[in-house]
Amino acid sequence: MDLSPVLTGFSVVFEPQNLLFCLLGVTIGMLIGVLPGLGPAATIAILLPITYNLEPVAAVIMLAGIFYGAQYGGTITSVLLKLPGEASTVVTAIDGHQLAKRGEAGSALGVAAIASFIGGTASIILLSLVAPALAGVALAFGPAEYTVLALIGIFLVGTLGSGSLIKSAAAAGAGLLLATVGLDPLLGTPRFTFGTDQLADGIDFVIVAMGLFGVGEILYNLEHRDRPQAAVPAFGRAIPSRVQWLRSRLAILRGSVVGFVLGILPGGGATMSSLVAYAVEKRSAKDPSRFGKGAIEGVAGPEAANNAAATSSFIPLLTLGIPANATMAVLFGALMLQGITPGPALMTEHPDVFWGVVNSMYLGNLLLLALSIPLIGVFVRMLKIRPGILAPITIVITMLGVYSIRNNAFDMVLAVALGLVGYAMRKLGFEPGPFVLAFVLGSLLEGSFRRSMRIFGGDVTEFVQRPLSATLVGVLVLTVVIIPVLRVVRARQVVRAAEPAEP
Amino acid sequence: MNPRPFTRRGLLAGAAAAPVAALAACNGVQGGADAAEDDFPTRAIDFTVPFDAGGSSDLLSRAVCLAAEEPLGQSIALANKPGANGAVGLKELVSGDADGYTLALAVKSLFAITPLVVDDPDAVAIDDFRIIATLTNEAYVLVVHADSPYQSLEDLVAAPSLNYGTAGVGTGGQLSLALLFGLAGTEATDVPFDGGAPAVTALLGQEIDVVSGSLAETMPQIEAGALRPLTVFSEERNVFLQDAPTATEAGYPVVVDQRRMVVAPSEVSDTVAGALVLAFEEARQDPDYQAFLQDNYMDVWEVDDVEARAHLSEAAELYAQNVADVGLALGDGS
Amino acid sequence: MAEHETDDARPEPEAPAPGGRVLAAVAGAVPVVLGAAAAWLSLRLDIGTLTDPGPGLWPLIVSALLVLTGAGILASVRRVEGTEAFTRGAIGVAAAAVGLFVYASLFEVIGFEIPSVLLLTAWLRFLGRESWLSTALLSVGVTAAAYALFILTLRVPLPHLIAL
Repeated sequence: MDLSPVLTGFSVVFEPQNLLFCLLGVTIGMLIGVLPGLGPAATIAILLPITYNLEPVAAVIMLAGIFYGAQYGGTITSVLLKLPGEASTVVTAIDGHQLAKRGEAGSALGVAAIASFIGGTASIILLSLVAPALAGVALAFGPAEYTVLALIGIFLVGTLGSGSLIKSAAAAGAGLLLATVGLDPLLGTPRFTFGTDQLADGIDFVIVAMGLFGVGEILYNLEHRDRPQAAVPAFGRAIPSRVQWLRSRLAILRGSVVGFVLGILPGGGATMSSLVAYAVEKRSAKDPSRFGKGAIEGVAGPEAANNAAATSSFIPLLTLGIPANATMAVLFGALMLQGITPGPALMTEHPDVFWGVVNSMYLGNLLLLALSIPLIGVFVRMLKIRPGILAPITIVITMLGVYSIRNNAFDMVLAVALGLVGYAMRKLGFEPGPFVLAFVLGSLLEGSFRRSMRIFGGDVTEFVQRPLSATLVGVLVLTVVIIPVLRVVRARQVVRAAEPAEP
Repeated sequence: MNPRPFTRRGLLAGAAAAPVAALAACNGVQGGADAAEDDFPTRAIDFTVPFDAGGSSDLLSRAVCLAAEEPLGQSIALANKPGANGAVGLKELVSGDADGYTLALAVKSLFAITPLVVDDPDAVAIDDFRIIATLTNEAYVLVVHADSPYQSLEDLVAAPSLNYGTAGVGTGGQLSLALLFGLAGTEATDVPFDGGAPAVTALLGQEIDVVSGSLAETMPQIEAGALRPLTVFSEERNVFLQDAPTATEAGYPVVVDQRRMVVAPSEVSDTVAGALVLAFEEARQDPDYQAFLQDNYMDVWEVDDVEARAHLSEAAELYAQNVADVGLALGDGS
Repeated sequence: MAEHETDDARPEPEAPAPGGRVLAAVAGAVPVVLGAAAAWLSLRLDIGTLTDPGPGLWPLIVSALLVLTGAGILASVRRVEGTEAFTRGAIGVAAAAVGLFVYASLFEVIGFEIPSVLLLTAWLRFLGRESWLSTALLSVGVTAAAYALFILTLRVPLPHLIAL
């Protein structure tokens, strides 16, 4: 491999102007990540005009920094306030918030930052080495593969819950139902839109997450505001303890690989990555019952995965010109406005842009790690604020963030309504995690399945005739049927073996 | 970009115009408004992009607004308000003040194709708007994978069966292919995706046989040699793709395109509309704007309000007629 | 070691009262009713076939899943735990939600400043029992900070009254 363009890329990054914009980008990213609801796609769109007068490389370095910086910042509110702003941090919120409640917010965020750094950096290295070769992976995934992938994801959602399995399934069912609101993806028939075109395009994921988690949690705490407040637990240090580090080490490595691979898939791979990473950790743990109650691996694995995925989601954009998600679509637009067409020709025609952006991510991740550690110390102090003051501030910022998604006040109404749903679910013993993730995967599943059926002319057996989807069906059967059955059998054997020993 | 202030404009303008208004009052009709309108615009203008950030409509809006700021002498604040192929944002525009300080982008497909798919009694119609400036005419091009056996449109329509990808229900790409295969009697299955990029991705992965998409979506892949254009659905050959014959040339009179324009609410006064029209006419001459169109393979469509209006209503009738002739049900029918 | 501290590291101030049989039954009934209603609406859409699904098929399948899981919860009312009794504090929750709906409806009409100050005041004073002084300082201060952050710094196009 010819290294000179890569090295040129580094010299591009170290131009003072580009260094500055990289720092600016990751700082803004971190800031908007912390603000619930205000997402990287909206922010980049808002900041586009600033980039008109910049060099293309500087502009894209800054905008890319906003994107992956937001991943770091989003973790902070997920853990501290249970307010996940992105599909990929929903999973982190589950165990992360439990850790925070227990007084380990500092070290949970510390582990998250380190995991994010390692996941992101590992992903850039892999990206630099194999990006061109991997472009094809995105293309190998057709509707059939996405159908099976989404199905695997929905079954994995079941592993999220720590309570009753049937309640998790019911919550997931409600999420799947909510995902059908809007125009039918293939036929355009309005479904459950009740005649308003505000609902025609369905409900934005962020609104669902903000409503069920954030607003729901605030309303729940409001009911019990008269209850004597728990003593504020010690926050711990931002540097994880030895035990936490030993526990997280392998989780971070596994998460990085999972995230890198799934992040390449433009149709929802990044969302899947944190979910898969969590499932992998829970299944491989010696004591899976710790998960959902504050297992540090449940933070480390998914955080490494979602940052690795954020990085590898640049691959389809930079090598094929395919935007993998809403943020990538805006970045695509930013490049077009600069007169640069992202696509197969980018690497040869604009090597400075390609390598400049890729290499800026090393620096960006390093900056983010350096920014995170002291900031964590500042942010955990938020928990010391009286709930009576913290709650209204959080709710106002959440509402403003929700508005900014589509600049639509109707979405605020939806978020509050979903907040009431989240509150009621909590009272009735349902968990929001399965609901929210099933919501994301539901439209992927339905759309992909129906597209597959059209492409296959109605022949379901084609799912097992295509090598890649057949392999995925194998994985599905393995994880959903074979492993659980083996577990049950083994558990019985253990019981039987133990019985004679009983006196 | 400026935020959008909810200044009490009515009050301010009214106060400023009061002495002049007294004089102007004898003209009857519009009273004091005229005086204030003469120096329109006196503050920033809000521009609604009723689509997601990053798409063609969004980029075009940004480019043209940037160019229009100087001739207007005011800044233009852009905000995305997506939903229902632009209906959400445009309905809001219609229900707001018609003082010229709120503008939006509108697309032809909302007026000409959406009514064929979605049965909405409250749908916005072109009569709800005043067309300030027509901007672009974007052709739909039919592409197949470079490894595809189909070398020409004749080969393609003779295929025993096909799957075609589109950017979604009620898009021009869907209409163009449905009409083509309907006229040719080809057995073809429509596979709508969630936007143009996933459809092109599926074609690159050879999951489907053919896609009809905008040049902005397909040209980079055509230039990279990954996709092959077989035909364009415009009346004349496209400036960016001189070698691709039109469908009409090949014997299938299917003409479908996307056109974009800047609109204001219909009640906007002539004075204000005139100022806006002039500013946008000047914006269309801006070299940066023209370079943007070139980079994004957008052809110009620059006509006046009357002609634009006539074109839109004719297109709506034509598409409805075409669909009826071929016996199509787009989407679920309506 | 940390995870051994889960339950006893700090005393729970007062564990929420379990909801009992009635709420457990409600937890099962809600999915059943929701699923049944959605199924009824789905049936009015075209169902199609498995090989050529109409718009109603997938919602119908999901509705069936909801009804089944709800029935499962109902069947095990005695075993399933995890519900919490509603307390008088729920009135505060309802009031807060109403306040938020009002907030959302005023937002695009009169800009974000006044509704934000009002919402903060109501929450701080009546739900949070802050003193009037700190309520006033905080609600104006937070709104000003949000203005500075969202509108002046990040240039988010929020509707607002005050133009700077």
